Amino acid sequence: MDFSNFQKYEKLKDLTIPEVDFATAREMQPYLTEPPQMYVGAPGKHGYLRMGFELDKDGKSIMRDLDRRVPLIVQQELYFDQAMPEMPCVYILSSGGPNVDGDRYQQDITVKKDAFAWISTGAATKLAEMRYNYSGMIQNIVLEENAYLEFMPEPVIPCKHTRFICDTRMNVHPTATVFYSEIYMGGRKYYKEGELFEYDILSVCSHGERPDGKQLFREKFVIDPNKVPVRQLGVMGEYDVFANVIVMTPKEHADKIYAATDAYIDRENKIAVGITHLPNDAGLLFKVLGMEPGPVKKIVREFCSKVRMEVKGKPVPKEFPWR
Amino acid sequence: MSTPTDNNFSAISRLLQFTDSTFPVGTFSFSNGLETAQFENMVKDADTLREFVWSQSLQAAFSDGVAAIHAHRAYLKGDYTGIADADRMLILFKMNDEARLMLKRMGKKLAELAVKLFDSPIIGRWLEDIKKEEVPGTFPVAQGIAYAAAGVSEQDLFVAHQYGVVNMVLSAALRCVKVSHYDTQKILFDLSNKVEDLYKEASQMELTDMNAFFPELDILASLHEKGAMRMFMN
Repeated sequence: MDFSNFQKYEKLKDLTIPEVDFATAREMQPYLTEPPQMYVGAPGKHGYLRMGFELDKDGKSIMRDLDRRVPLIVQQELYFDQAMPEMPCVYILSSGGPNVDGDRYQQDITVKKDAFAWISTGAATKLAEMRYNYSGMIQNIVLEENAYLEFMPEPVIPCKHTRFICDTRMNVHPTATVFYSEIYMGGRKYYKEGELFEYDILSVCSHGERPDGKQLFREKFVIDPNKVPVRQLGVMGEYDVFANVIVMTPKEHADKIYAATDAYIDRENKIAVGITHLPNDAGLLFKVLGMEPGPVKKIVREFCSKVRMEVKGKPVPKEFPWR
Repeated sequence: MSTPTDNNFSAISRLLQFTDSTFPVGTFSFSNGLETAQFENMVKDADTLREFVWSQSLQAAFSDGVAAIHAHRAYLKGDYTGIADADRMLILFKMNDEARLMLKRMGKKLAELAVKLFDSPIIGRWLEDIKKEEVPGTFPVAQGIAYAAAGVSEQDLFVAHQYGVVNMVLSAALRCVKVSHYDTQKILFDLSNKVEDLYKEASQMELTDMNAFFPELDILASLHEKGAMRMFMN
């Protein structure tokens, strides 16, 4: 036996990335056909990202750990936040353009004790039209003692007949704070005659837990516009854009942020905002409905500023004019 | 543990008893956000009320309804852990503060009543655990247990559960929306035709399959939670 080859093989095994498979998810059962083009999980269709933030010996928060597989790209952390210049900021990019049929992704993000970070995406995440399979993503977000993370990606744009499923696990120490936002557009609103809620399915599950495994909350929404009319009163109504923000933070912070945040329906500008407490004193849940991504993003950012002000004593600066 | 009986007379009687509006679990105190929807002029007539109630019905079917079904099955198997699992999973899934309060308040009331009605150690244990805050004690789980103990089938439990959700909102509507008894009865009558399809789906779902996408309802609930205007508790 050629021992050197064996060692090489063992090393390669360490480089393999976790499988992302939602074949048992009930709502994805109609979408399990293998695409005839590039197969599910082919190189370039199975993105992986592992980012670990921690304090270095001088107490600076840095990205110490980074592993990435195509099509996901993260280069290095930058320090461009003017209100919090000590904050490492990372953009997640994709060299593949939109998520296509049979794409799989996993993103593992750890923020170690006392460290902090800001993560976004470089542009909106487009979910392309799909015919056979689906695009799936698993996210594991782990925050140790007193860690702080703002995860504020650009909106997701689901095109006609897309299928997308995402499972996000947040394992958060009782002293840590995570701000986790998602913005879903109805579709390519201004493409051709307009494409709104013509996708096949969006299934999004976010669940929170403590380091000892205690489960705190589990939010799951499955949007199947063919089953339940999205325009129905109580679902999206007249609105086109939906933002969902989970803030896991200690109760004393949550109570103050809740008191400082209004819930309202602005009929003139067609914006609706709601906030409530997550179960088991896990933190807050904030929702926004609107017509265009701009105003919704602005409200999400202002809410993030309230969270940062309460936890870190600093605001979130104004968004760059080109974003 | 009481076993389900073939005696349809008592099962139907108990079904009627448990779904009656005078059954003391406090359904009259809740409007499920209708009060705010009316104030915001979103629910203003029979048509908009129908849409609002249908959303409530769907939302409940694939969350509370699933938990009720699982509790019913667990009770019949004498599986206390299954009951506690359904109970805890439902609370993890309830994102709205007032909804959690409502489910726990009504659940405890039904558990207290069920302990007196049925000679069942499982119900007794569940009530003790609610008092010790080891389980949340949600209303749909209480329904699942009580209906199973009464010999009511899983399918009939689901129908009763849906009837309860729809009737709760429609009863509140008579007090805060400009609609007549004729309107609300017609809505109730029509929506009953959809329960079969909802059951077909909900009865296939695991607890982890529970899902809901009703952001407009969520925001209305939040407005009510924050607001000063209150005739109902939610």
